[in-house]
Amino acid sequence: MAQRRVTVESKVGLHARPAAMFVEAASKAEGQVTVAKGEGTPVSAKSILAVMGLDVRNGDEIVIDVEGEGPEADALLDRLAEIANAD
Amino acid sequence: MLTVLTPVPGTAVAMSEVDDPVFAQGMVGPGVAVRPAPRPQEAVAPIAGRVVKLHPHAFLVLGEGGRGVLVHLGIDTVKLDGAGFATLVEEGAEVEPGTPVIRWDPAEVERQGMSAIVPVVALEARADAVADPAAGEVAAGDTLFRWA
Repeated sequence: MAQRRVTVESKVGLHARPAAMFVEAASKAEGQVTVAKGEGTPVSAKSILAVMGLDVRNGDEIVIDVEGEGPEADALLDRLAEIANAD
Repeated sequence: MLTVLTPVPGTAVAMSEVDDPVFAQGMVGPGVAVRPAPRPQEAVAPIAGRVVKLHPHAFLVLGEGGRGVLVHLGIDTVKLDGAGFATLVEEGAEVEPGTPVIRWDPAEVERQGMSAIVPVVALEARADAVADPAAGEVAAGDTLFRWA
């Protein structure tokens, strides 16, 4: 399991557009990908309803977990972190 | 079959006409967009349910069976920081189809140089789940599409 903590810099948080891009990127992974707000309960990062329901706002910390290890998992974490921080 | 109402008056167009690729390509989900009439108006709930997310410029109603409909008032309108938008219910409120949720003025959004188009999105629906999409002139509360 590869994990990353990210402070969300996207101005809108993980809302409509960034949420959709986040879910699209996560859905490309074969294994499970989850995201949690702070120490909250993780939800599937492949569900836009679940991701938008987290109510992640600008400045919140999220914890992303990707099944598996190695460069592929790291690349996915990089991409998800990038989306969470894009405007 | 869930009937989804148009939240705003205006002209119903295909989602592909939205000037934002994330919406236009259906990445958020399938649905129908409305070019709103350029006058002050109240955006109403498209379905019955709970307003699980409420921003000044967008809201998400979660209805029966966990179906969520997202109403996004304009593109990039998050940058307005709520200026020109007034929320009329609290987040978490139970609403009926047609309950006013946000007061706004699409003409003002256009004056700020942004698109005021309103994507109405069936979240996590398959592309072929959207049936009977409206086209042309619609009044708030008219049927916009059906969700199979």
